[in-house]
Amino acid sequence: MSLTAELNQRSKPGMLLGIAIFTASLFMVEHAISMVTTPLKFAPEEAAPGSFPEVWIHGSKSAMDNQDPAVQVHAYNDHTYILRENKAINYEGAFMYLLFGNKKALLIDQGSTASAALFPLRDVVDGIISEWEAKHGQKTTLIVANSHLHGDHYAAWNQFVDRPDTLMVGLTHEEVMDYWGFSNYPEQRIEYDLGGRTFIVTGTPGHQSSELAMYDTWTDLLYTGDMLYRGRLYLEDWDAWAASIKRLRKLADDYPVTHLINNHIEMTDTPELDYPIGSNWQPDEPPMQMTLEMLDIAVEAIDDVNGPGIYKYDDFLLYNEIPWAYTTDP
Amino acid sequence: MLNRLLMLAYCLLAAVSVQAHMLNMTHIDIAVDAQQQAAITVRIDLGQSLMTADNYWLATQAPASEQRALLQPALERFNRDLRFLLDSSVQRPQMTGFEISAASLDAIQNPLTPQMATLYYQLDVSGATHLNVELADQLEIPWPCLVKIEVAGQALPQSRLLTNVDRLSRDTLLSSSAVNFATDNLATDRMVQLAIVWSRLAPEFTWIAVGFQHIVPNGLDHMLFVLGLFFLAGGWRPLLLQVTGFTLAHSLTLGMSMVGIISLPMNIVEPLIALSIVYVAIDNLFATGLARWRLVIVCLFGLLHGLGFASVLANIGLPEDQFLVSLGLFNLGVELGQLAVIGGAFLIVGWFRRQSWYQSNIAQPATIAIAGTGAYWFLKRIAF
Repeated sequence: MSLTAELNQRSKPGMLLGIAIFTASLFMVEHAISMVTTPLKFAPEEAAPGSFPEVWIHGSKSAMDNQDPAVQVHAYNDHTYILRENKAINYEGAFMYLLFGNKKALLIDQGSTASAALFPLRDVVDGIISEWEAKHGQKTTLIVANSHLHGDHYAAWNQFVDRPDTLMVGLTHEEVMDYWGFSNYPEQRIEYDLGGRTFIVTGTPGHQSSELAMYDTWTDLLYTGDMLYRGRLYLEDWDAWAASIKRLRKLADDYPVTHLINNHIEMTDTPELDYPIGSNWQPDEPPMQMTLEMLDIAVEAIDDVNGPGIYKYDDFLLYNEIPWAYTTDP
Repeated sequence: MLNRLLMLAYCLLAAVSVQAHMLNMTHIDIAVDAQQQAAITVRIDLGQSLMTADNYWLATQAPASEQRALLQPALERFNRDLRFLLDSSVQRPQMTGFEISAASLDAIQNPLTPQMATLYYQLDVSGATHLNVELADQLEIPWPCLVKIEVAGQALPQSRLLTNVDRLSRDTLLSSSAVNFATDNLATDRMVQLAIVWSRLAPEFTWIAVGFQHIVPNGLDHMLFVLGLFFLAGGWRPLLLQVTGFTLAHSLTLGMSMVGIISLPMNIVEPLIALSIVYVAIDNLFATGLARWRLVIVCLFGLLHGLGFASVLANIGLPEDQFLVSLGLFNLGVELGQLAVIGGAFLIVGWFRRQSWYQSNIAQPATIAIAGTGAYWFLKRIAF
């Protein structure tokens, strides 16, 4: 007897069969859709491979004649993009990160220049996202977040406020804490799920009082923002920074770390020597990524520092609780 | 060519102003108290912007009684070019004081050692629902300018960024009873856009829009349950009785849950809601009218759905000072959403209710689909 005939006769088994068939059909449709758009796997067991550029675009002698792109885009791997603001546009040459998970993308930091004409960060990010969406058959929601709340890391924030499918974390300490779910900042470790890609987020104040560090369980990269990079580490609160460095070391003890990644390069490739503040051209830059040994040196530095001043190390300089105007510049 | 010119202009600007980490950027903090009085605090590097470093140094070293006169030209300019828009009406805040100090003239001259002035203002924002901050085009200050608005009763502050190319903050909400959609662009569907429009036109009714959209379009499971009630054989009376019972029941648990009297984990509530859809649909297939016990069960399911509504509302958060009003309006929105579902169903298939083939060709297939979908959700919700 056909299903229609069963229905017409209001047969109980026929009705129930119809329901079961409909339910099974929904599961089959779901399965068919999932076959077309298989969720990406971000397995934490082994570090996902990726690569850094040999050298970053590093400005030019004449900023005005600079022909490099306003934003350098480097794909560390298929789902991890490192962006750098052209140093000819702003000497900060800040690094920004665009990280993808299933249906979500996280943009960490928005550079040092507000003008979209000079620094079209939104266009660049939209381009990367469109390409990624087309390649992986997924629509993404963009989360606009910040490593910390200094203006050189959110100057282009406004370029995103009208963007559809975008969540702006906000630029106040309270909004940042609320988004990441901190109830015990900075000690707490938050397990953050970016569409199946898990990050461990913890507080790292010292340079700035809302700063975060993020460990990516998929790539094993540890992002240290402005609190540890190859350059002048300006420390507003020494005790907080020392505690943050120990917290990072503990994190690196608990999880495998391949590289430390961060926000600036201010050192030259000569140990202890930095470029002057405001440099628009840095031809002898060392790599941006850092090693765990450098983190160990920062941990050891905690015992060296005994008051305000500039403390020199091969790969970074500690500007401890001194006015930022005092520099090692000649 | 244009880019080259822009680059040249920028380089010239950058050459005179090296601002590591933009330490001397401007801050405007606005704190609105329960009496709707806004205390405004501006931190600005006057010696790097509206005054010469020398003049600012002189002002900081002068006796307090002479400081205002020395600052007057800069303050006049700043006060003229700083505008507050309360629901589009331009208001000038009353300056109530200032604090200035500087370590040295050298420190003022160096943007890396910002010597910030603090300016205090007061503004009556009574009756206004939206606030915008605007800096006039001719005003040049150390950029960017971070605006932070804290409103009594709102769970979080609102942040806005003003830059030399973007001098008007987007709407900030002053009402603690309004939902802040402004920083959440995830709200791109039409219904939420409608809610945003409501929040501007009649903020007190925003909660109705939030409640409505929780049914249409976001509450597919609630929609299917209501459709399950619609497709029960019989006239309008059974439908009316069921919807009334369901509404009273879910209003009860929604209210009780929001004041913390009852709570149930969502991993229990959600599968049961799916099961309730299966139940009413299967019952439709075999019942010929409204049995009394079905009415009781629909009311019990109403209690369950109320807990589901409460979980959504808890995520948004109700304003403490207008808790009951907001809760009532949200509930009203839910009812309107349900009525919209029933109205929509009537418009599409209700005309045929008296036809002989209505049950076999419309009501029964639709009900089987509803039951099948409910079963699918139930299995998904218990298994994943």
